[in-house]
Amino acid sequence: VLCVDDEAVGLRVRQLILERSGYRVLTAPDGPTGLALFDDHPVEAVILDYAMPGMHGGQVAARMRELKPHVPILLLSAYMSLPDEVTRLVNVYMTKGEGAPALLQKLEGFFQN
Amino acid sequence: MRPSANQPPLFPAGNSLNLTQFNRILIQILLTPVLALAVLAAILVWQIRSSQNTAARVQATGDIIAACSNAEKLMVDQETGLRGFQITGDEKFLQPYRDANAPLEDALNNLQRALEAQHEAPDVVDAVRSAHTTWQTSYALPLIATTRAGGNTYDPALNMTGKLQMDAVRARLADLLDREANLRRGQLVHWRSQSRHIIEGLILLALLVGVAISVFTVSRLHTVSDVFEGTLEGLRRHAQATYESEERLRTTLTSIGDGVIVCDPDGNIELVNTVAQNLTGWTQADAFHRPLSDVFHIVNEDTRELVETPVDKVKRLKRVVGLANHTVLLRRDGSEIQIDDSGAPIYNRAGDLSGIVMVFRDITEQRRTQSVLLATEKLAVAGRLAATIAHEMHNPLDSVANLLYLIKNEQDPATSAHYLQMAEGELARMGQISRAMLGLYRESKMPVPIDVKEMLQSVLVLLEGQTRQAQVSVTTSLPEGLEVEGFPAELRQVFTNLFANALDAVDMGGHIHVTATASNPTSPTRNGVLIHIQDDGSGIAPDALAHIFEPFFTTKGERGTGLGLWVSRGIVDKHGGSITVRSESNPSDSEAHGTTIEVFLPRLSAAKTPSLT
Repeated sequence: VLCVDDEAVGLRVRQLILERSGYRVLTAPDGPTGLALFDDHPVEAVILDYAMPGMHGGQVAARMRELKPHVPILLLSAYMSLPDEVTRLVNVYMTKGEGAPALLQKLEGFFQN
Repeated sequence: MRPSANQPPLFPAGNSLNLTQFNRILIQILLTPVLALAVLAAILVWQIRSSQNTAARVQATGDIIAACSNAEKLMVDQETGLRGFQITGDEKFLQPYRDANAPLEDALNNLQRALEAQHEAPDVVDAVRSAHTTWQTSYALPLIATTRAGGNTYDPALNMTGKLQMDAVRARLADLLDREANLRRGQLVHWRSQSRHIIEGLILLALLVGVAISVFTVSRLHTVSDVFEGTLEGLRRHAQATYESEERLRTTLTSIGDGVIVCDPDGNIELVNTVAQNLTGWTQADAFHRPLSDVFHIVNEDTRELVETPVDKVKRLKRVVGLANHTVLLRRDGSEIQIDDSGAPIYNRAGDLSGIVMVFRDITEQRRTQSVLLATEKLAVAGRLAATIAHEMHNPLDSVANLLYLIKNEQDPATSAHYLQMAEGELARMGQISRAMLGLYRESKMPVPIDVKEMLQSVLVLLEGQTRQAQVSVTTSLPEGLEVEGFPAELRQVFTNLFANALDAVDMGGHIHVTATASNPTSPTRNGVLIHIQDDGSGIAPDALAHIFEPFFTTKGERGTGLGLWVSRGIVDKHGGSITVRSESNPSDSEAHGTTIEVFLPRLSAAKTPSLT
């Protein structure tokens, strides 16, 4: 799983949770780094933060769709509502603070399909 | 008040008469009759002199006649005495003859002198004397001698001779008398006609002089009267113009939108215009001649202490006292209104204080509007920050929730402790953000010391998310220990605003530099802190730069209220500080563009109250 977030602490905690659940986790602090990892590694799912400096989550997701359209993307955001064209790009969209179980459940859903 | 320049002149130029000219006319009017009367008197004296001469001549002629008559009488006495002696031979009868001799000689001498005095020929006297002498020597003396000798003296021839001789004497005297009587008559006729002429002449002259004086005086007085009339007309016009000008000013005063009270130099009310009557609740009639302090009570809106009226202030400072001091006017009915007032001295031409005019206006509405705008702007700031702050809060919240989940499933106490520590750190961040947010709203009642570094950092914390989003690098140079006095929430609002503006101005990857420096600690007015917020953004166009502090001016379209800088300046001004903007918007030179905002805050705040929000 590739996690992209500019919030260092949040990213670290998320990584810990995912690893605790048995996922192998790659992390990137911004969009360009995330895309490079996404291109280089066999990523099976992406957890993407929306609000990031430089490229926001929507732009990163669009680029990822171009590179590997089949890889599921989960978009996280602190914002309550995001533009439709962004949410349409990703498989799942959830707000931060819904809790770890909800995140793990959504992620599990990707792998069940 | 000085008379306006377009007033008509007091005296029309064509009709003017100065004091010298007027005095000259007065002197002419006084002197002309005196001169005329003097001439008249001279003529009168001359005429009287001439008349007196005539009278003297009449008198002299009278004297001659009298002397003549006297001589004749004496001769008659001699003749009579001689006749008595001739008849009686008694010497006693001859006595009158002898007694008359000397007086007769005197009388003839007198007559001669009188004639000489009258420049008449005296030879007639010589002729009389000679005829008398002939009578005496050839008749009287021989007759006396003959009578004494006892001779016959009745010879008719002799007596006839004597009679003829005496007749000759008498005839000469009669001639003289006749001549003199004629002369006297002529003289009397002359004197009478002369007297009549004098009277007629005098009457005529008096009439002429009277008429001349009248005509002259009337003409001179006409000149004066014309000028006086012109002056009066000028005065009337001037009075009318003054009245109109005063009426115009009075109407202007009464219909002006501000309250105006005019006082005399002692501070007693002379005029209260309509607005002032409405504002104070006092009518012109009630307020007239009352001391201003009876009518115009103003107190400080916070301390409720009585405030010096502008009139007292003007009297004390002898200059114009400005508007906008935010006081509360206690009206006659006890209600209150917020006012701004000002006062100005009125000087007369001599430069002495002749009155004081006070202008004040009801700013209750204005203050209400202002406070609504301030509240609006505060809400707008909050609104702009809300999304960022939600994001800022959400991130640590998410981390804390996730950490709690991890702790719940963690058996190793050391790892749990590590997670707890991380969660604590995130909570501390949230606390910081929430404190910064609250700091924008919680306001103290009195100015408090503010750590400039702490305040600016709390603002930067609030905007950290936005800054990161915009990929703007922020550098700061904030030394410790810089302190100002003021209202922290208001100042936070100012710097949030200024910093947000800088963020809006810079492009992706731009740079903002925030510095604070101590400013001139020795100067009483510039002792404080200078804060610079410098960006390398697009800058502000020169035509916009002139308006950025005006309310509702915005370059951000729908995103801005146009109140940010207006409110910021209001707050900084209230603190006794200043805010200035330098901007370069030269697009061709990337080094040259950008905006620097400089805020000066005094170490001791001038502000005594927070804004009405």
